[in-house]
Amino acid sequence: MINFVIFFFFAALAVIFALMVILHRNPVVSALSLVVSLFSLAVMYILLEVPFLAALQVIIYAGAIMVLFLFVIMLLNLQRRREETTRPVQQFLGFTASAAFAVALIYYLAKYAVMTLPNGPFLADARTIGIRLFETYFFPFEMVSILLLAAIVGALLLSARGLPSPDPERSEGANAPEVPGR
Amino acid sequence: MIPTQWFLILGAVLFCIGVCGVLTRRNGITIFMSIELMVNAVNLTFLAYARQFHQLHGVIFVFFIMAIAAAEAAVGLAIFISLFHHRETIDVDEANLMRW
Amino acid sequence: MAFDGLDIALSLLKIVIVLAALLNVTPIMVWVERRGSALIQDRVGPNRVGPFGLFQAIADAAKFLLKEDVIPREANKWLYTIAPMFGLIPALTTIAVIPWGRPFRLSDGRLFEPIVADVNVGILLIFALASLSVYGIVTAGWASNNKYSLFGGIRSSAQMISYELALTLSAISALMVAGSLRLTDVVWKQTGSFVLFDTIRIPAWNIFSPAMWLSCIVFSVAAFAETNRLPFDFAEADAELVAGYHTEYSAMKFALFFMSEYMAMATMSALVTTLFLGGWDIPWYNEPATFLGFILSVIAFVVKVTFLLLTFVWVRWTIPRLKYDILMRVGWKVFLPLAVVNLLLVSWFIAERWI
Repeated sequence: MINFVIFFFFAALAVIFALMVILHRNPVVSALSLVVSLFSLAVMYILLEVPFLAALQVIIYAGAIMVLFLFVIMLLNLQRRREETTRPVQQFLGFTASAAFAVALIYYLAKYAVMTLPNGPFLADARTIGIRLFETYFFPFEMVSILLLAAIVGALLLSARGLPSPDPERSEGANAPEVPGR
Repeated sequence: MIPTQWFLILGAVLFCIGVCGVLTRRNGITIFMSIELMVNAVNLTFLAYARQFHQLHGVIFVFFIMAIAAAEAAVGLAIFISLFHHRETIDVDEANLMRW
Repeated sequence: MAFDGLDIALSLLKIVIVLAALLNVTPIMVWVERRGSALIQDRVGPNRVGPFGLFQAIADAAKFLLKEDVIPREANKWLYTIAPMFGLIPALTTIAVIPWGRPFRLSDGRLFEPIVADVNVGILLIFALASLSVYGIVTAGWASNNKYSLFGGIRSSAQMISYELALTLSAISALMVAGSLRLTDVVWKQTGSFVLFDTIRIPAWNIFSPAMWLSCIVFSVAAFAETNRLPFDFAEADAELVAGYHTEYSAMKFALFFMSEYMAMATMSALVTTLFLGGWDIPWYNEPATFLGFILSVIAFVVKVTFLLLTFVWVRWTIPRLKYDILMRVGWKVFLPLAVVNLLLVSWFIAERWI
C-alpha cells in the first residue's frame, strides 16, 4: 500500500521536474531540476528492489555528473545568455512528434505489457552483483575502466587551452638564442 | 508489489520528454541534459525487466551504462567548452560550419 | 514480515531519539567550539550568558530568529532560499544508517535494533547523500550574485568532490574486513578481541590493526575535507573571502548552514567511530543483550563521538589553512594514490588471513 503512494509521488516528481528541465529558460534551474528528477528515479530503483543501483545512481549521476554540468554552466556564465527561441516550425514539429511517440508507446505498453511477477526474492545486492561482474562480465568491466581512462585524458586535452606548444628551439636548453618573431 | 508495466510507462514518458527536449531546445547543455534524461529512462526500463525476470543481466547492464554515461558526460562537456572558447556561443544552430 | 503497531511506535521512537540528539549537537558544539578555541588561544571566551557561558547558544539562536532576513535584490530568490535545504537534508538523513547501540531483546522477545534504517547497502547511502551536500554550497554561492560567494562555492565544491574519492576508497578497506556493506556487520566484526602473544587482549577495533592505520588517516583527512572544516574550509575562508558561500546569508538561512555544518561533523564522527573505533563496542566487555547492555553501549558510542568532535575543534584551531592549489594537488596526487595503495594493502592482508 505504501509502495503505491511512494511510487506515484516520486513518479509525479520525476515527470514534473523532467518537464522543467526541457521547458525552463535558465540552464542552472534546468540542471537542478534534472538532479531532482534523477533522485526520484533513484527512489524508483529502490522500489524495484535494487538499492545498490539506487545508491550508485545518486552517487554517480546526481552527485558527480550533474555537479560537472553545473560547473560548466557556471564557469561559462551561461545563464546570462539569452537563448534564442527556436523557430515555431521546429517547436511545433518537435512537440507533436514526441507527443505522438509517447502516445503510441504508452498505448502499446498498456495494452500488451501486462506481466505477472514471479515469486521469490530478487537478489541484487552488492555481493551477487560483484560476483557476476568478476565472473561473467569481467572483460567488459576491464574495458570500461580503460574507457574511463580514455575519457579522462580526452576531457583534459579538449578543455585545456593555452597549453605551451612544444618549441623546437627551446629544447636545446637555457642557452638557446632568442629567435625573433617567436 | 507494483506492476512492471507502470515502470515501463514511466520510462516511456521520461524518454519522450527527453526526445522533446533534444528536438526543441537550442542550448547545447540543455540538449545534453535531455539526452541524460533519455539514458535514465532506458536504465529504468532495464531494471524493470531485470526484476520482472529475476535476472541480473539488466542490473549489470545498467551498471555499465552509468559508467559510460559518466565518461560521455565528461567528454561531451569538454567538447562544449572548446566549442564555446572558439565561437563564444553555446547555441547549436550556430555550429554550422559543416552544413551545406 | 508481520508489522504491528509496536514496531511502528519503536521506529518513531528511534527517529525521535536520533533527531533530538543530532539537533542538539549544534548548540553544544557552538559552546564547545568557542570555549575550546578560547582555551587553545589562551583567552576566556564567552562567559557572560549563564554559568561558564553555557547559554550562549540560546542567545545565538534567539539572535538568529529575530534578525532581519535580507535577500539581495539581484539574487535569484528561489535558488537563494532553497540552497540551505540542500545542505540540511544530507546532514539530517545520513545518520539514519549508523548503528548507535547494541541490539537487545525486549520483554516479548522482539529484537530492538538501534539503527533507524538497517539497509543492505548502508554505507553507500551515506556516500550518496553526502555527495548531495555539494549542491547546497554551489547553489548558495551562485544564487547570491556575488563574485566572492561564487569563488567560495566553486572552490569548496571542487575540493569536496575531489576528496570524496579518497573518502570512499579508504572506507572500502574497513568494509572489506567486515565483508559487508551494512554498518551493523562492520560493528559486529569489531566486537571481540585480538590476542597477542597468548596473553594480551586488545579490542578488535579496526584502528588497532596495523593494516588499517593508513585508511584511518586518509579517511579522517577526507572527512575534514568533506565537512569543510579547517584545514580545508575554503567554503568559509574567513580571512580571504569575507564568508565565502554564505556571505550574503543572514538570520535563519545562515543558521541553517551553520547547523548543517555541525551536524555533518557529528555524522562524520559517528561514521569514523563505526568504521574504525568499534562503534558501540565497549572494550574488553561482552555486553549482554539486555537493556543495561544497550545503555552502556550507547554511552560508549557517545563518548567516542564526543572525543572525535573535540578532535575536530582541536584541529581547527591548531592547523593553518592550506593554500588552495596545494590542497587540490594533495587531494589528487597524494591522498587518492594512498587510498588506492591502501586498498591493495588491505586486500593482500585479507588474502593472507592476517586480519
